[in-house]
Amino acid sequence: MKIVVTVKLVPDPNAEKRIDDGTKRLIRTGVETVLNPYDEYALEAALQLKEKIGGDTTVTVFSMAPEALKETLRKALAMGADDAVLLSDAGLEGSDVWASSYAIAHALKKVGFDLLIVGGLSDDGSTGATPGALAEYLQTPLVTNARKAEVDGGKLKIERETDTGYQDVTAPLPCVMTTALTFGEPRYASLKGIMGAKKKTIAALTLGDLGLTQPVGQGGSKTQLLAFAPPPARGKGRVIEAADGPSGAQAIFDFLKERKLV
Amino acid sequence: MTNVLVYVQHKNGVTPKVTFEMATQARKLADTLGGKAYALVVGAGSSKLAETLKTYPLDAVHVNDDADVDKFLLDPVVDYLEAAAKAIGPALLLVANTLTGKDVAGRLVGRLNAGICADATDFKIEGGKVVAVMPKFGGAAITNCELRPGDYGIVTIRPNAFAAQAGGAGASVQAIEKPAGKSYGVVVEKDVEEGTGELALEEAPVVVAGGRGLGGPGPFDTLLKPLASALGGAVGASRAAADAGWVPYSLQIGQTGKTVSPSLYVAVGISGAIQHKVGMRSSGTIVAINKDGQSPIAEFSDLLVVGDAFAIVPELTKLVQAAKS
Repeated sequence: MKIVVTVKLVPDPNAEKRIDDGTKRLIRTGVETVLNPYDEYALEAALQLKEKIGGDTTVTVFSMAPEALKETLRKALAMGADDAVLLSDAGLEGSDVWASSYAIAHALKKVGFDLLIVGGLSDDGSTGATPGALAEYLQTPLVTNARKAEVDGGKLKIERETDTGYQDVTAPLPCVMTTALTFGEPRYASLKGIMGAKKKTIAALTLGDLGLTQPVGQGGSKTQLLAFAPPPARGKGRVIEAADGPSGAQAIFDFLKERKLV
Repeated sequence: MTNVLVYVQHKNGVTPKVTFEMATQARKLADTLGGKAYALVVGAGSSKLAETLKTYPLDAVHVNDDADVDKFLLDPVVDYLEAAAKAIGPALLLVANTLTGKDVAGRLVGRLNAGICADATDFKIEGGKVVAVMPKFGGAAITNCELRPGDYGIVTIRPNAFAAQAGGAGASVQAIEKPAGKSYGVVVEKDVEEGTGELALEEAPVVVAGGRGLGGPGPFDTLLKPLASALGGAVGASRAAADAGWVPYSLQIGQTGKTVSPSLYVAVGISGAIQHKVGMRSSGTIVAINKDGQSPIAEFSDLLVVGDAFAIVPELTKLVQAAKS
């Protein structure tokens, strides 16, 4: 069975996010690029499934990113993925959700998979729409927010989180799955894994390989980022030391009354 | 892009409040764009829900009580939406920014070759073009996202951001035919509701949230729930509390959980790490109770009371109850 995991390369989530006035894009210079933390959960799910299924199951990592970020993928290989594919092309710059999904789906058709696992969110400008769009272009079912998964009799069985509870769902393969963070903490790369990752293959794809019929990149995108502004400032408020329960409660109650909230 | 179509997420006819917020907003958008406002409601209980929906200022509500919508995950809904959208041309589709809404919206991006703007809290119409206003990067910036007018456009809507107002001439309720020739593969074997009957967290006007400082699951019931009930709100939690298994993950607020913007947010025993902050910082008023005056939450709460939550909260609950009666 071939499992493919898409990973996004994002600016370090712990760094403060700033946007460039001119390009309206996230400033990435001076900020380390890392695997989108949510995608590490997707990779963890893939590695767990590989261990469970065994046999000739492989895990391939896929990413769309500038070629210069190629080495960042070694971390995924060190965690245990078998190989990687990187789609890079200057013509992809400025692609919105639609254009990215359209291009990535066509690249994934080339790569091929039985199960595609996508992180539920990205840390930079998340819409959560990419997995659904990929499933459409790949003409496969979509199951989302999995917190448990197994492959049984050629079918994928998952327990998934919903807005109000959870569901058990069975889907045929090939299929696109997203993971909830409750699937399990991503593993650390072992020293052996890090050494081994250096020898693993990172294959390259460019737009020319995909045979797209619609334009992508900024020009092909169906949305445009027009403007941005910092959110209204929220200054530091009042701090009150409560001597005991009743005085603390009274202080809050008076404050809520003042703001007409009770 | 002149017509507007609202996707109504529901279970057995019970829908989140955001549905009515979208129905109200759809009218305003359609009027500005010179088109009509529609809603689609499919699955068990739809006809019943349509009776409520038609009191909102929509032109038409498309309905089918098709049981397949509940039996199979996502695919039937997307087929219905595709059919309804194609019947009215390159439309603007409004979808709630919930887990289900994100899945539906994502599939529609692919199905309709549509642009998407996510988590909108406002709209501007500029020269006939639809611009969605949305907080981005966990609220670090407010961005304007313009949809290309010739294409389908999808905007997911943040709950609690728009007003809901019934009224208008009354929408017509029309049966929509089940899309033909489809087979569905993803079977919902079991569907479990947690926390039934309580206000959905994202839509509650008041959220009382607890964190590590509560020390266990008990205080969520004995301490927070009575205060939330008195204030007419819902109980939420930090990731630490959800990770510890004190509350289900459906109550978790923050980067990896839900985003809420109630008019009042009460944080009890929550230190206010950035991961939590991004899920609640757009709340109207933030009140924190914490035993540590130096905790990060001091930096973004309107009032921080430094003290023992176990002593303060029951007293506060009494004061609120007394004020109400």
